[in-house]
Parts: sequence; structure tokens; C-alpha cells
Amino acid sequence: MLVKINSIANVGLETIPVDVEVDVADKGFPGFTIVGLASKAVEEARERVKTAMVNSGFDFPPKKIMVNLAPADLPKDGAAYDLPIAIGVLIASGQLERLTADALFYGELSLDGTLRPTRGILLLALYANTLQGASIFVPKPSAPEATMVANVTVYPVGTLTDLVRHLNQTIPIKPLAHDTIRTDEEFDSGESDLKDIAGQEQAKRALVIAAAGGHNLLMWGPPGTGKTMLARALPGILPPLSPEEALEVTRIYSVSGLLAPGTSILTKRPFRSPHHGVSAAGLIGGGSSPQPGEVSLAHLGVLFLDEMPEFSRSVLEGIRQPMEDGAVEIVRVMGHVKYPASFTLIAAINPCPCGYLGHPRRACTCTQKMIAKYRHRLSGPIVDRIDLTVLVAPVEVEKLSVTTQVDNNTLTSRQAKLMVVKARAIQSQRFTGTHLYTNSQMKNREVKLFGKLTAEAENFLKLAAEKYDFSARSYMRLIKVARTIADLAGAETILPVHMAEALQYKQLA
Amino acid sequence: MKKFNRQTGASAENIAANHLIEKGYGILERNFRNKFGEIDIIAKDKNILVFVEVKAKIGGDFGLPEEMISKGKLQRVRNMATMYMNGELLPCRIDVVAIVLDENNEVVRLTHYENVY
Repeated sequence: MLVKINSIANVGLETIPVDVEVDVADKGFPGFTIVGLASKAVEEARERVKTAMVNSGFDFPPKKIMVNLAPADLPKDGAAYDLPIAIGVLIASGQLERLTADALFYGELSLDGTLRPTRGILLLALYANTLQGASIFVPKPSAPEATMVANVTVYPVGTLTDLVRHLNQTIPIKPLAHDTIRTDEEFDSGESDLKDIAGQEQAKRALVIAAAGGHNLLMWGPPGTGKTMLARALPGILPPLSPEEALEVTRIYSVSGLLAPGTSILTKRPFRSPHHGVSAAGLIGGGSSPQPGEVSLAHLGVLFLDEMPEFSRSVLEGIRQPMEDGAVEIVRVMGHVKYPASFTLIAAINPCPCGYLGHPRRACTCTQKMIAKYRHRLSGPIVDRIDLTVLVAPVEVEKLSVTTQVDNNTLTSRQAKLMVVKARAIQSQRFTGTHLYTNSQMKNREVKLFGKLTAEAENFLKLAAEKYDFSARSYMRLIKVARTIADLAGAETILPVHMAEALQYKQLA
Repeated sequence: MKKFNRQTGASAENIAANHLIEKGYGILERNFRNKFGEIDIIAKDKNILVFVEVKAKIGGDFGLPEEMISKGKLQRVRNMATMYMNGELLPCRIDVVAIVLDENNEVVRLTHYENVY
């Protein structure tokens, strides 16, 4: 008997329907064959399905079983076909009634018949959403991922036995209730709060601008002045993800298998801080069947590169394209995949290898050659893509005092977040009807459309551009930063004062 | 135990050969062997040369006889068949006879699978 079960394959963030055709033939030498460009993990489904069925108290028919995963030319990977194959074998061998409703099956089986967390459930749900009235049967631990999708009935399956009882209509499985995407309102300063960082008012201001407009920020200064602490405070002041953004981010984490079981949706902006030993494939994405890299995992969030000159040059140059396009295209033998990678880059560097160049009191011990070599590791094109550069200078001893409260006007993370959220609200109003979220994502056309510079502000910029020889890209980027500063001030148009502040952060390290 | 297995195998091969004769096959060779392996039965079904692998099991505690025939085993039978035909291109096929016996070597089930390779 031939049975067809519906499932899917995820290629990058694309979902392609897969028909799992199972034939249990009465004639022919017994065997279990899977065809359809199956990877090793899919091939091994044979043993898992067989054992899981026997251990769940079903018969594994000693007959010629042929499984075809169509379309045949699409490579299939992962253990998610265990469940559709098992259901197909059960129906084809007459141990289960034929399915009546449209349903999709997806999940990895454990040898005892329980279903294990499987990656890519959210993508399955989003695909099922495009079909009318489809239901999906997915592993219980991963099922919450799918509850955010409106028009899909999600059945959390604990074990193979539970599912068979449900399909036999003896003990039904209760579908999960739909959930609406709640963006987290409660404030959480995260690892460090801005108020705990002594001094550095200008750096804090730059951090707020970066968070508000999604601009790239370079912090430079001697060791121990708070660059890393400032970066770690950033997650606390970033605005919550909007529902659409949350879906975009969760999709990436779902295909990477990085969602903890039971998680439904990510509401916090990602903050990724890869070590400087990261490989090109780790940062940009790669592998024989391309997986998202750090730039994609930082999508709509922050990519923090601490000690940026220590990253290998070839790896670092790889982030140039995603910084400009907001996406990476990865081409490998197994296929061609595009992942979104629209991140805010926060980089921290020392002025020289010893770290004390330009320090008010300590002498730098580096030679000119060493400094030049160190600086050379940051290429011009990367620096040109950084909108905000800020010096994190050594802190005066006075401000460090623990026992006496010196400064009560320090910006707290809570205040900063309010400012950022307000500025983002203005931006989302501005960009309604476009695919943009922040000022930094504007292309030249949008800058002209939404920039709203006053003539004085533009003149001011022109003067600076001539004097310092800004590139065309820097020119546009300065307008974007000025736009964010104006948004933080609640101003309709960009005034010279906003442009002046934007120019302040355009110093070269 | 080894000895018993051989006895079981020999009696199973007799049972299989009788079954094939009943079906109207002509037996050409029994236990055709050289240093590369062995073919249990070589028979002739009308004008088709049939290479038969016999597998027997006592009881069901250790699985089905069918499960004991792997791709590799069939490949060996195929290689042996090629050697038997010695370069001639004859119409031929490979069959498997699976036999389940009880403790008294009585046949519980006999299944003849045709053209398995």
C-alpha cells in the first residue's frame, strides 16, 4: 500500500514542501530503503523508526518498505523525517487509518518512541500558515515555537503512541493555544548598567545614539576604561523587538537549532560577541549545507567585536558586504542560501598594541612601526562603514570613588532605554509601509526622502566634507546619524546643531 | 553450538531444495563453493538460472531469517554467480529461501523470495 505524508525541508530560511511517500509491498524481499537524496542523518532514520515502532508496541512489518522523499533532486538533511516515515509505515502496514485532514508531520524520534526537540519548527508553522486550515504535528518540546503563527493548529506530540491514539481518535491530543507575540515591557539592565560605569559621558551618549538608530559604533581607548562594560550595557538599553522583528530573529535561531526547548519566541534583541579567534564560516555563516553565522545570529541586534584588530583580516573583511546590504549570501556545493544580517556593529579597539598611546599619564612603549602595523589591521572600508567613533578616555580617580557619591547625574540604563524607545517609535512611524526599521538601514533614496535637512545643516555638512574629504558613503551616513540625533531630540528636521553632534563622532581613530 | 548450526543449515537446505523441486525447478548444484564463498543451491527455472541463498532460524527469539541477509551477503552470492557463469551472459536471478524451524527442526514457515538483488 502506498501512503503519502506531507512534510517540509528547510533550505536556509526557505521552506520547500516534501512528500514522504511510503510503500509497504506484500511482494518482494523484506528490507527498508530510503531514497531521495537523503543525508546520513536521514538514512539513519531507518534504524530509529524501526526501533521506536517496536518499542512503542507496534509491529514493524517484515516486508519490502520503500520510502521516497520527493522532490528527489533536493538534498534532505536532519532527523525531522523520522515522524512522517513512522506514520507512513504505520498507515501503509494497516496499523493506522488513513489520514483524513491536511496535516504536516515533522520531528525526530528517540529509540523509545518519544519525540525529541527538532530545529526549524517555526518555519514549518509559517509554511503551514500559507495552506488553508492545515494542522501540524511536532515534538512537544519544540511546539511552543509554532504557537505564534495564527492560522495553524499545532499538536504537541509527546510520543509516537500518543500520536497514534490521537489519529485513532481514542485519546485526542489537545492543540496548543495560540499566543500573541508579547514584546517584553519590563526593564532589565542586563549584565551591566550604564550608571555603574564611571564617567564616559560622551561614550554613553554615543551608545544611546547607536542603540536608537542602529548605527555602527567604534570605541577606542586604553585598556580598563570601560569599553567592554559599555558594550555589555547595550542589551539593556536596546528597544524590545517588534512582533515582526521577533519573528524574523526567531526564524534564524530556529533553523540554527539555538532555541532552548520550550521557548516560543525571542523578545530580546540578540547580542553576539564572538571571540576574535572566530573563523570566516563561524562569523559569516557556512558549512556544507550553509548555517547562519554570527552576523546573521546578530540580525536586528548587536554584533560586538571586542579587540577588533585581533580578528584575522580575511575574516573581518567578510563583514563588509553584510554591513552594507543587511544580508549575506552563502554559496556552497549543497546550495545557495541567503540569510538576513542587519546588525549594529559595536567594536572596541586599543589605540596601539600596548594600549597607552595618547594616555595623559602613561607612556606608550610601542614603536611607530608596531602602531602602523596594528592600525593596518583595520581596513579603510571597514572604518568608513562606522558611523560613530568615540574615545573612551582614562577615568579620573575622583570619579572612581566607591565610598563617596560623586555624581548623581549619571545616565542610567533605564533613562537611556526610554530615550531609545521614543526615538525608535518616531522611526517606525516614519518607515511604515517600508521594510526598514531604523535610520541606519536607509539607502540613499530613503535618505533623500526622509532626511529632512535644513539648508543650513546641509551647508555645514558640505563644508566639513570638503575639508576632511569624506567619501560619498560617509556623507550619507552622517545624514543618517544626524537624523537619529534629531529623533532623540524629538525634532522634525535636522538642524545644524544635530549635524554638528554627528560630525563630532566622525573622528578617525 | 556451531555444529548444531551446521546441521540446521544442512537440513534447511534440503528442505529448500525439496521445495524448489516441488515447484518444478531443476537442481543443478548444491553447495557450489570456491575460496571466495558459497552458493547454497543453483537451480534452473525453465531457462533461467537461479542462484538460491537459504537462511534458516530456529524460533523467533533472535529475529527473522530475512534480517540476517545483508546487502554484503547478496553481493557475495552475486560475485559467486558471476564466477559460476564464467563469462557467459545467461538469463539468471538471485532468490532467497527463508525458513523458520521449531526446536524439533519442523518447518514453521517457508518463504521463497524471487529476484531479490
